[in-house]
Amino acid sequence: MIRATTGGVLKSYRRNLMNSFIARNKAQDTVLTQRNFNSYAEDPTSAARAFKLRKARMTVQSQYSVCTDTHKKFQTGWSSLEGISKLIDTETAEPMKTLTGTTLSMLNDPTGDAREQLTKVLDQISQTIVQNLNQKYGENFIFSGADGHNVPFEIKDDKLYYRGVPVDAAVPNVVMDGGAPMGIDPATGLVDANGTTYVKDPASSLVKRSTFDAMDPADQPKILKQNANPGDPQRFNENGVPDPNGEYYLNLDQAETMTKEEYETAVSDAEKLKYLMNEKQFVDIGLGFQENENGQLIESSAYNAALNGLTFIGYGLDADGDPKNIYSLVQKMKEISSRVKDGEKWTDEDYDEFDGLVKKLERASSEFKTEFTNMSAGTQKLENNVELLEDNFYNLQEQYADIEDVDMADALTSFVWAQYCYNAALKVGNSVLSESLMDYLK
Amino acid sequence: MGMIGTFDAFTTARLGIYAAQHGLRVTGNNISNINTAGYTRQRIDQVSLKTGASDMYRSTYDNHVGNGALVTGINQIRDPYLDIRYRNTSSDVGFYDTMLGGLQQIASILDEVGKGENGGDGLLYAELMKLSTALRQLESDPNKDNDNLTRASAEALASLFRTYADKLDTLKKNTLEGFEKDISSVNEILTNIRNLNESIRDNELQGDNALELRDERNRQIDALSEYMHIRVEYSMEDAGAGKQVEKLTIRLGNSNPDPTVTTDSSVLIDGLFGTQVSVKMVPKANPDYDAKDPNSFQYLKPDNTGTNNPDEAEQVYDENYILQLGKLVDRRGKEWEGRTSAYKELTQAELLQPPYNMVLGEKAVFKFNVGAAAGWNEGDVIQIGGKDVTIGANGDITLADMNDPTKLAALVAKNLNGTVPGYTITADGGTLVYTATKTGLVDAANKPVGPTFNPGTGAGTIDFTDGAEFFGVTGKAPTLPAPTTTNNPDGTQTIVSYIQSVGKYYEVTTQVEHTDEVTLDDNDLHGSLQATRELLTEAGSFATQDTVANVDENAGIKRGIPFYQKSLDLLAQKLATEYNKLNEGVMLDQDGNEVESITGTIEFLKSLGVTFHEAGNSKGGFGDGYYVNADGIFVGTTEHPVCVLDQAQLSVNDTVQEAAKKIRDSGADPTFANGIDIDDPANEAQLAGLLKDFMKAHGVNSDNAEKETVTLTKPIKMGGPLFSNRNDGDDTTGITASNISVSHSWSTGDVRIVPKFEVLFNGEVTDSTQNVNVGHMLALIEKSLVYNPQDLVPTAVGTKLFQGSFNDMLSDSVTTLGNDQRIQTSKLNTTYTSLIDLDTSREGVSGVDLNDETMNMMQYQKAYSAACRLMTAIDEAIDRLINNTGIAGR
Repeated sequence: MIRATTGGVLKSYRRNLMNSFIARNKAQDTVLTQRNFNSYAEDPTSAARAFKLRKARMTVQSQYSVCTDTHKKFQTGWSSLEGISKLIDTETAEPMKTLTGTTLSMLNDPTGDAREQLTKVLDQISQTIVQNLNQKYGENFIFSGADGHNVPFEIKDDKLYYRGVPVDAAVPNVVMDGGAPMGIDPATGLVDANGTTYVKDPASSLVKRSTFDAMDPADQPKILKQNANPGDPQRFNENGVPDPNGEYYLNLDQAETMTKEEYETAVSDAEKLKYLMNEKQFVDIGLGFQENENGQLIESSAYNAALNGLTFIGYGLDADGDPKNIYSLVQKMKEISSRVKDGEKWTDEDYDEFDGLVKKLERASSEFKTEFTNMSAGTQKLENNVELLEDNFYNLQEQYADIEDVDMADALTSFVWAQYCYNAALKVGNSVLSESLMDYLK
Repeated sequence: MGMIGTFDAFTTARLGIYAAQHGLRVTGNNISNINTAGYTRQRIDQVSLKTGASDMYRSTYDNHVGNGALVTGINQIRDPYLDIRYRNTSSDVGFYDTMLGGLQQIASILDEVGKGENGGDGLLYAELMKLSTALRQLESDPNKDNDNLTRASAEALASLFRTYADKLDTLKKNTLEGFEKDISSVNEILTNIRNLNESIRDNELQGDNALELRDERNRQIDALSEYMHIRVEYSMEDAGAGKQVEKLTIRLGNSNPDPTVTTDSSVLIDGLFGTQVSVKMVPKANPDYDAKDPNSFQYLKPDNTGTNNPDEAEQVYDENYILQLGKLVDRRGKEWEGRTSAYKELTQAELLQPPYNMVLGEKAVFKFNVGAAAGWNEGDVIQIGGKDVTIGANGDITLADMNDPTKLAALVAKNLNGTVPGYTITADGGTLVYTATKTGLVDAANKPVGPTFNPGTGAGTIDFTDGAEFFGVTGKAPTLPAPTTTNNPDGTQTIVSYIQSVGKYYEVTTQVEHTDEVTLDDNDLHGSLQATRELLTEAGSFATQDTVANVDENAGIKRGIPFYQKSLDLLAQKLATEYNKLNEGVMLDQDGNEVESITGTIEFLKSLGVTFHEAGNSKGGFGDGYYVNADGIFVGTTEHPVCVLDQAQLSVNDTVQEAAKKIRDSGADPTFANGIDIDDPANEAQLAGLLKDFMKAHGVNSDNAEKETVTLTKPIKMGGPLFSNRNDGDDTTGITASNISVSHSWSTGDVRIVPKFEVLFNGEVTDSTQNVNVGHMLALIEKSLVYNPQDLVPTAVGTKLFQGSFNDMLSDSVTTLGNDQRIQTSKLNTTYTSLIDLDTSREGVSGVDLNDETMNMMQYQKAYSAACRLMTAIDEAIDRLINNTGIAGR
């Protein structure tokens, strides 16, 4: 049997007392820090989990900020669009009522006052639309797509430009041959492969072959002829597409032409518009922002914060060659109303054109409302997301608190128990040190 | 009844008093030392004394009474097996305690639990997230202010990386200082033990057990066992004059798991000799050394100039902190020697040969031939040497034999021997041999008188004639050669010497072993020293293949400070590399195609009519893609950037210097540009000439070749590095946690975060808030990246340390650290508990117990009193005999 020596007992006591003190101290730390663990070593799994949750919280916090900003931008944009909506609603909006009323009244207006008034109203509407679409939120323009630092809409020579591109840009309808515009030499009236003049809207300048042939040669208009066989007319089908068996010729006297440079500019502008209309600016508002294996953003994981003004007011030309853009429509209406001279009545053609534009304006207004509604839905989605992020933030806080924070009742009980044990150890120490046979010697 | 000494009992009483007094003194000593560290309780060796011996005349009625108690010595109570177990466990505790201490120090830097804002968001961890927040803000509005905010966040992140790296570096330096102090302490302990051995030996020789010195030695050995696993052996050695003394030997404890390694049982202490521990020093390597460059130096001198002489170089610690054991020397510096001798007796035959040339001492010999005997009759009695010899069948010799000289000579010799002073007479066939009894020369004057006889009753004759004579020579002792010493290839010596002992000669072959320095293997130690070494050196997955192959096969799974340093370095490098990659690119158009700018034109030589081979494609021919410029130097094109001449792959982007080095280093022409400093710009023209010649030699002759002018375009670079290896430059090479900085260009605003690389319609359309690239940067924060140790250490054994986001990588490193701490804590707790148990057990055996000693004290006190009482009783009894006996009637 091992001897229990004085030194051995004291050493053992010291060690146990130290252990007891350490346990007490640890329990005290737990109470004071109110944490279940104070280092990875104490609980690596929980520590790693807690950090992940904290990271998620920090991410959500940051996404919340971006989402709130985006929401405010959309709200401000919504207010601007609402202004436009009120302006162009043909049923409820006062200006449009005025427009309709004025249209009716001016039909019989011999003095031109009503037309003048109409011109002013139309001008005001168009100006207001542009002003509203040039609204800013903070430092950035709201409706400039991904070009928030620059004014999106500009008016130059009564034409509206979106980010430097005419909003009415469209690929001109010119005579095409083999996928490329057919050049002509206006001087000779021959097809010219190197020609820099193109014929616009060929269908409107066609003359039926039989009609042409039946005409007195002196009265025959100048038609487009082939280059390969000079003198042979260039034949077209009824749609104005070159066709060797076509029954139509192109009347150069009637045909409207454009230069190659004009054509290319128009094509380029159309391409730009097409690009801009597809432009997006994604932000991370907590939809799982992630890229695919090719490093491309998965679009459903982010929010497109770009607001393009043209989405609302339209762009390009319709099949009639009229603008689809509200501003341009209004401007065109203004132009028609202003070209009827004082004391003169509307011609039927002006009236029909104006009336047609009014209808197109109504259609554009309807499309505006549709987009406006879509935007409202987007704004609502952002608002909901803000609330979701808020909830998420608190949830995450709770989750890591569950991992990190101590149950105070448990911690205090543990501390009291550790304290009790330590006190007991001290008490034992008093006895250990006092007694030995030496004390009983007389 | 035997005799009883009158005063014997006094002696008995006196010895009793002495014994009790000794007991009290030892008890007192024990009590006094109850708190002395390392003290081993002592006790007296006490025997019962009996004097006298067996007496053959002893009466059976005699009852022998002992003569009291005798204290023969004082010894210690110690259990050597407990010591062995304690010391083995002590090295375990030393290892785990030190390792845990080191890991805790690392954790105090990297472990961010409870640190940072919001009650524990962490520091570096949070900074990574702040960068993400800043990028998210920049993404929502990529303007200058948000770029500045992102840069500020990146600066804070880089700064924290550097702070952590700096702290880890400081920790490593402090650990190294601790290591040096530990080595110093170990050396002090080794010196103390060696000196104590000497003192104990001296005491032992003087008859003292030196118990207190042994206590101190045990204490020192215990202390040593914390630093390293040791094996302690006790043996006896001859101290001369037949005196045997104890010898202590301490060896390393055979800790290396590799059975082929023997250095893990090297001797630390061998009696009076001891070694010292030191870190192996090596010449300081030149980090820029290029083995292929003859002008490059392998080492650096203290003044940082180069040298190829390792002795001239600055001596620095071996990178693995390999330890060396010095020579075993005693207190006076005398080196240990181990001698073993083999004795071989030299035979006489050997001694007679050179080099001994022994000469035997020889005696003088005189020979007399026995001739015919005649005239004898049966029954004759003759006297030979004064003795009667009868001839006859029943006599001493037959008559017939009288005619046989051999038999006659034998008869004569037998009878004459002893009758001639100074000679021994023997027969040799028919010859009588007179041999002098003394060696040495006998001259003619001392020639013996030849054989004579008295015919006696007969009348015959015997014919004796003188034979050969030899006067003898004096002998000569062998000549013993001087000792010879041979130095053997294994460092031992063989000494051959000769001795004479008790008339014999011996050849003594002594093998002499010398003490030598020992370079320890990486795993020879186990204890706190080894733990500190591992903290200083172990890089885990970052360990090089060379280290695993040649130093420690388990290096890939051991983690010390370098592992955590390199993990942090890898994280910083990855972060910097990935962000730099995203911020550097070329201008694209709206469709994602590269926009190129015209940079100039170059005149090529074409139609040279020679064949080149594309790298790796022997079918490749000289086509339009291969060109040399007007100087005849290969320039290539982007489509065919490589031209192979012999083994040199010349690239389109090579400078003259680079092309020259490739030709020289690839082996195409090792002597290319010999004697020319390729890196010196002043030599560029000369090099260009040599290159042209080289091309010509390979069939590329630019003279008279048709020329063609080609327009050169190149993509338009955009952006620039965001992070570099120092904040006053844009160098992105070798970025680590200790140097990661926001690049100079970003900090000055020359470079900004590129929100997108697309320029729309040649800049005719602007998209000032487009953020595609910022989106990539934001996504990068959460992107799962592979962290490959070889990205940082090309020859690392690990291939995939971790896969995950930046934050996850950081968290994983610290989780690994936490788990390492837990493992070490568990091991420490287990071994420490064992150590405490063993210490308690040792205390149980060797410790002083107050109750025990009190009992002893009382016991010895009573014994002392009793012995005194005995003396009084005897005194009284004898007093009766002396003073009160024989007075009857008085």
